[in-house]
Amino acid sequence: MNAMTGQTLPLRILILALGGEGGGTLMNWIVSAARASGRRVQATSVPGVAQRTGATSYYIEIAPPGGTPILGLMPMPGRVDIVVASELVEAARALETGFVSPALTTLVASTNRVFATAEKIDMGDGRYASDRIIAAAGEMARQAHLHDLDAVARDNRTFISAALFGALAASGALPWDRETSASAIGQGRGAEASLRGFDAAYRTVTGASETAPPAPDPAPPASLQDFAGLPEDLRKVAELGHDRVCDFQDAKYGRLYLDRIRRIVVAADSADHKTASAMTEAARRLALWMAYEDVARVADLKTRPERFARIRRESQMTPDQLLRVTEYMKPRAEELADILPARLGRRIMVRVEKGKSFPGFGRGIHVRSNGVLGFWMLRAVAWLRRIRRRSLRYEREQAAIESWLDALCRSLPDSPDLAEALAALPRLRKGYSDTLERGCRAYARIFETLVVPALSGDPAGTAATDLRRAISAALADDSHARLDQALAGTQETPVPILKAKAAADAD
Amino acid sequence: MIWQTRRGDGVERSFEREIESLKLGQGETFYGEGILAVTKALLQSGVSYVGGYQGAPVSHLVDVMVQAKPLMQQLGVHVEPCTNEASAAAMLGASIMYPVRGAVTWKSIVGTNVAADALSNLASPGVMGGTLVIIGEDYGEGASVIQERSHAYAMKSAIWLMDPRPNLDTIVRCTQKAFELSEASNAPVMMELRIRACHVQGQFEASDNIAPKVSMRDVLQDPAPHLYDHLAHPPVTFAHEKRKYETRMPAARKFIAEHRLNELHEGARGDIGLIVQGGVHNALVRALSELGLADAAGNSDLPILTLNVVYPLVPDEILRFAKGKKALLVVEEGQPEYIEHEIGSILRRADLQVALSGKDVLPMAGEYRSEVLVEGVAAFLRHHQPSLDNRVPADGYAREVEALKQHARALLGAPVPPRPPGFCTGCPERPFFAALKLAKQEIGEVHYSADIGCHALATFAPFNFGNSILGYGMSLASNAGVASFQQKPPLAVMGDGGFWHNGLLSGVTSRLKNGGDGVLVIMKNGYSSATGTQDLISSPSADQKSRAAEQSATSGDSTIENALKGVGVKWLRTVHTYRVAEMRKTLTQAFTSSFKGLKVIVAEGECQLERQRRIKPLRAASLAAGKRVVRTRFGVDEETCTGDHSCMRLSGCPTLTVKTATDPLKTDPVAHVTNGCVGCGLCGELAHAATLCPSFWRAEIVSNPRPIDRLRARVRGLFTGLGAT
Repeated sequence: MNAMTGQTLPLRILILALGGEGGGTLMNWIVSAARASGRRVQATSVPGVAQRTGATSYYIEIAPPGGTPILGLMPMPGRVDIVVASELVEAARALETGFVSPALTTLVASTNRVFATAEKIDMGDGRYASDRIIAAAGEMARQAHLHDLDAVARDNRTFISAALFGALAASGALPWDRETSASAIGQGRGAEASLRGFDAAYRTVTGASETAPPAPDPAPPASLQDFAGLPEDLRKVAELGHDRVCDFQDAKYGRLYLDRIRRIVVAADSADHKTASAMTEAARRLALWMAYEDVARVADLKTRPERFARIRRESQMTPDQLLRVTEYMKPRAEELADILPARLGRRIMVRVEKGKSFPGFGRGIHVRSNGVLGFWMLRAVAWLRRIRRRSLRYEREQAAIESWLDALCRSLPDSPDLAEALAALPRLRKGYSDTLERGCRAYARIFETLVVPALSGDPAGTAATDLRRAISAALADDSHARLDQALAGTQETPVPILKAKAAADAD
Repeated sequence: MIWQTRRGDGVERSFEREIESLKLGQGETFYGEGILAVTKALLQSGVSYVGGYQGAPVSHLVDVMVQAKPLMQQLGVHVEPCTNEASAAAMLGASIMYPVRGAVTWKSIVGTNVAADALSNLASPGVMGGTLVIIGEDYGEGASVIQERSHAYAMKSAIWLMDPRPNLDTIVRCTQKAFELSEASNAPVMMELRIRACHVQGQFEASDNIAPKVSMRDVLQDPAPHLYDHLAHPPVTFAHEKRKYETRMPAARKFIAEHRLNELHEGARGDIGLIVQGGVHNALVRALSELGLADAAGNSDLPILTLNVVYPLVPDEILRFAKGKKALLVVEEGQPEYIEHEIGSILRRADLQVALSGKDVLPMAGEYRSEVLVEGVAAFLRHHQPSLDNRVPADGYAREVEALKQHARALLGAPVPPRPPGFCTGCPERPFFAALKLAKQEIGEVHYSADIGCHALATFAPFNFGNSILGYGMSLASNAGVASFQQKPPLAVMGDGGFWHNGLLSGVTSRLKNGGDGVLVIMKNGYSSATGTQDLISSPSADQKSRAAEQSATSGDSTIENALKGVGVKWLRTVHTYRVAEMRKTLTQAFTSSFKGLKVIVAEGECQLERQRRIKPLRAASLAAGKRVVRTRFGVDEETCTGDHSCMRLSGCPTLTVKTATDPLKTDPVAHVTNGCVGCGLCGELAHAATLCPSFWRAEIVSNPRPIDRLRARVRGLFTGLGAT
């Protein structure tokens, strides 16, 4: 036992927030409320440059009424009564650093995510698992109040600090009543909105369950006859995929998609978990691949009426405001070659590879997509889908799809594990221009180096693991340094070469 | 009038409420932040002049005084936001020959390093009027500088050093006593306040402000006479050195003892004792409570000597405390252990047999948080007070905390992603670094000397730039040697803050004089932005700002360019940072140019914190008046976004983020622009400059449209078939 559980201990509150979010405002409100309730209070922070969007913290100690204890300036792990976190990963940070104790700590946290740069720049999906944080918080805290307080703040057109304060007041962990907290917000500028947010968050915490129920899955689309016998997951994906490729080209292209799905289903001779998962992933990647983004597709998507409605919604526009939308296009000769008939496209590519320029291409242009001229220009480009079947890119993509399908169908019966990894490989073919070229290069290298040899035998039984590792390495950085290592099977880091040594080597 | 030197009052934060609390009188209660309590204490001490250089955690001291112009004029206090710490320290020269009190402030250790020359020359002759240096000891969590102690400067120059307990009563008392101590011993005094102490919210009983006797309101008729004895110049410097230790230090010790600046807390267990720096006292008490040796009110079983003055020590005080004890623990944060060494000498000279402990049980480096102190004190007690064994279980608390952390780690499954600070939304420096990342594809890797300022945030992802940082304004100077053995000219990046702080002299003029090759980029955002957008000599004037309206106001000022031309820079380009393609081209030119010598690119773009501060009221007023207002924001088309996140690797904007794709076929999250977007234009520039992807759109939202706007919209709707968009 320690002496820190005696009655005269101060109440210790730790606030974790992001710089510029109003954590200081929340701290000041708590300080005012404590003073209004007749308690001595001390609070501090370490803003520094963290105020520029980084993680930061605030710490408050509140003496019991009439007491004048020595107030600490630094939180101690395992000795904090209340932890307030303005964002879910910041709540996780409090858990990780030991500030949330099952014996002591009330945790009030917003479940919204503000993704860190490390999570955003991942070429695949680098997001931290929110559900694990919520589960961990439930287990680690004496009491956890987890709600999307960012949404509460937004709905009430105020800042998250107000919603956090309301949730904190509702948690029952503050030693004064709701009115004392509410009065601390005062009458200044924006106080009305703050009080609205405070009230809404208070109601959310007192009225709602501990954690919000997960959003239900969207209703499955109407079933097509073609998919009747397929496993549920695969059927859903194949339906979506079919819709997608029909939207991309036409019903005939949709039938091609279904034929390819059938090929995969026939090739698989078992219904085990791995095989099912491989088939579902393949159906997903096939649809996305077949509906690749060429200029015609982009122009088509950009000129649909529902898109402009979405932009209005996303920008929170009122009906009486007017909207002008500008697109940033930079079509290069490569994109022109892609959509032209194959023979013509190849001729252009020969010139491109020789470094010859094409007037009017490779220059950034601004297109006013809801202006008369811009709109019809984009529609004209979208019309090119009628000649897409004869285009250079169509020819290239279909050939690559066929060889991937061959490999997939060959591996499915023997090694569902390899097939599952292989089904995900087209994930690398994404992006535009340089990014797409890099992705396709990575795809081709992995296909040649790992997939082709594995099809003719995988004595070591490591082909699936190697393939998965290579895919994640290709997604790790855009210089392909990690991919080079993965394919070479080494983990060496390059050392700088001294000029003298380089010169000597060259001699 | 000093106010004429300031071209605006451009500071990020407004201190209206705080200024009111600076006017409080006798018997009223001051509520507020530590550093503002110090400011109030300065006014209560009758200072004649205050100077300083901005930097966390002490920026607010000067900022609030600058904003409290009428109050300062009324009292007659001269306030000078200096151009660097050396100029702030040199200001204290006023107190050498005149009976005036003065105070200056800066961030330490770095600021004290810059000020060191002036401080030595101040401390040698000594002072007549009380002088105080308030240093923000930027140490431990939240610090942004190298981890060293300012203590060494106090010792080498014979400047007295205070380290008050972190509550406002003690901080205010020490501030006021510091002037008396300084005058009683004719020596300058430094007061160190750690980050959390500067920002601590607390209260104290105020007293009346005192108008200085000699000031800008009550001017002296005659300057001081020529007294060679007061010059830091030989041969009198030899006498100064003797005086420091024969006269001034004994006087200081007498004052410290008589005024009980250090605090003795008696304890029931008289045979061991703790000696602690004032600033660490509260953390120590908390650690003792954890061990069951103190109550929450601070009553400890163990006697504690709390040093609010850590240099010089008063040997008699130490000996009186040590007498009759078998062991002492010195709790001294930071390295090396100057106080512990000095106490050791005091004990040995008096031949007092007391076991001395300190850095043997406490860590040499790092902040003394309570959990660190729990372990150190427990180790000391186990050795010297075995009878306490059952109350001080071996590592009990440490084990509990470790178990908590392990449990959390197991539940979470993966380390939580780091979240270092980054460029603000709409920051004009971000486009420069995006351009540099693109230019690197053409010029290859180059040696990059980074500097101090917002641009140092480019050392973090997604930019990851920089081979070295050598100090504020030092980037160009730091690659003078590198330039001699690199194939490509090295790159130095500094801010306009760093340029005026010392980059112009130690970097530019030195490179020009020696004729070395190199590329220098100066981020001209108009203010000392990282510290709270204080004004620089090149800050846009009020007139330039009002003319710029929503545009960048820094394009109108050419103080930096003129200075560069004036010292002889031949290759000079100014490029607006949002012209990414042009910046990329200019960078490539600089690195491939046949001109061997210093090439300077001024990357111009006004700090968006300042720009937004100007725009917001303008827009709000226009909207309220029913005038036509156009707001711009960017967005991403989810259908065409393939989720490769290339844009984020080039931008790092907080409002350009990811979200789960609405499309159930897409498993990777897609790009998304939140409503925090200020429409800076970088997304569009990058889409073009980097040939990124066609998913970005720019929306211009017209509020209060004019009839002609409505007509045009109707025509557009009609001829596109889209209806009214």
